[in-house]
Amino acid sequence: MEKLKWNRIARVLVGAVLGLVISVVLVSYMVGARGPTAVTCLLCISLGGAVGAATLPFADDGRSLLLYSAAHLGVTAVLFFLLTLELGARGTELLAWQVILLLVYAVVWLGRWIGWYVEVRQLRSLLGLAPGPSPLKWRETLPYLPFVVFLCDGLPLLLRWADHAVSADVPVLSGLLLPYLLLPAAGFSSGLSLGKRQGWCPLYPAACFLCYLPMVWLLFNSSALFHCFMVAVPALVGCALGWLSHRRTRGADN
Amino acid sequence: MEVEIRIQPGLKEPKAILLAGSESGELRRLADSLSRLSLGPIPVSRGEERLLLPQGEFLRFYTDGKGVSAQTAEDVCAVRLRLYELEEMLDRTRFVRISSGEIINLDRVTAVDLSLSGTIRMTLDGTIHAYVSRRYMKKIKETLHLGRRDKHGKA
Repeated sequence: MEKLKWNRIARVLVGAVLGLVISVVLVSYMVGARGPTAVTCLLCISLGGAVGAATLPFADDGRSLLLYSAAHLGVTAVLFFLLTLELGARGTELLAWQVILLLVYAVVWLGRWIGWYVEVRQLRSLLGLAPGPSPLKWRETLPYLPFVVFLCDGLPLLLRWADHAVSADVPVLSGLLLPYLLLPAAGFSSGLSLGKRQGWCPLYPAACFLCYLPMVWLLFNSSALFHCFMVAVPALVGCALGWLSHRRTRGADN
Repeated sequence: MEVEIRIQPGLKEPKAILLAGSESGELRRLADSLSRLSLGPIPVSRGEERLLLPQGEFLRFYTDGKGVSAQTAEDVCAVRLRLYELEEMLDRTRFVRISSGEIINLDRVTAVDLSLSGTIRMTLDGTIHAYVSRRYMKKIKETLHLGRRDKHGKA
């Protein structure tokens, strides 16, 4: 325990020193000839310390991991926001940097999760058990992909063509029926079906979103971006409900 | 190698005598691996009753606030020993500590699952769930690599 404590302190200190070096070298280069201000230095040191401690939450698991990770993300996001503000970023630029930070966090999380998955596979193999589901259940999600492609790409093309064919003033099929009825209903039902069969499949709502995305610009414009959410969110909810049902059924079986 | 088993009533733990023409490295390794095996029964209490149960009957040993409990396929018994004392007594190729409060029987693991938050759950005999602390993963893998198991199944 004492070793772990010193390990944490050492990591934070190394991060803080690197933050100081970066503030002197990089910030001077980015902002101009003048050196970094005391506030910039302090923020870089704090951010360096926070980054140095980034892998520590992953030593735990379950609830404590989620809590530590959320707290770490919160602290890092605040420090990063203040630093980018200090370095002159304003408005949407600030937001863009925060989104980049979130994406980095998501990639780190995914990397960690895949590492754990590999460990669990190794355990199963050593115990002589079946290999279990694929990472994030991508293989189990694949059979539903043709339906997603039809729903998110084929159907919008078909309905748009039908709207043009009848030369209607209002594109009832592609502008009203599709986003407000067909996408939510089909997304929810298919997500529910997948969740009931395979449990929680996080890639399914993401696949719905990504498959519809090209149609937004191909058939409509950026104002139709909400269509992506009209299919992805019901798919997410359906998948979650299906997963709950799947768990209950498995519990009853056991 | 010829193996002979002789039943001797009253003997609490099996005793092995190796007979060989001369001493060799293999013989020494065999003696070492046999001496690591702990096969003695574990004393437990079921109500007022005191019992000695064979190790194979236990699914897990865990702390539950009041003390240490032992779970078998049928019921839960109280154990008067601490977990670290049990660790010394139990067969190290079969039992492993998976968290600060739990030792499980690897022979009874029927499933291993990973949640999105990274929690590793082991299912024992299809019904009992035990949660693995990541700090113990290295030790679990070492135990599994002790030569008892291979990639294709249980030894």
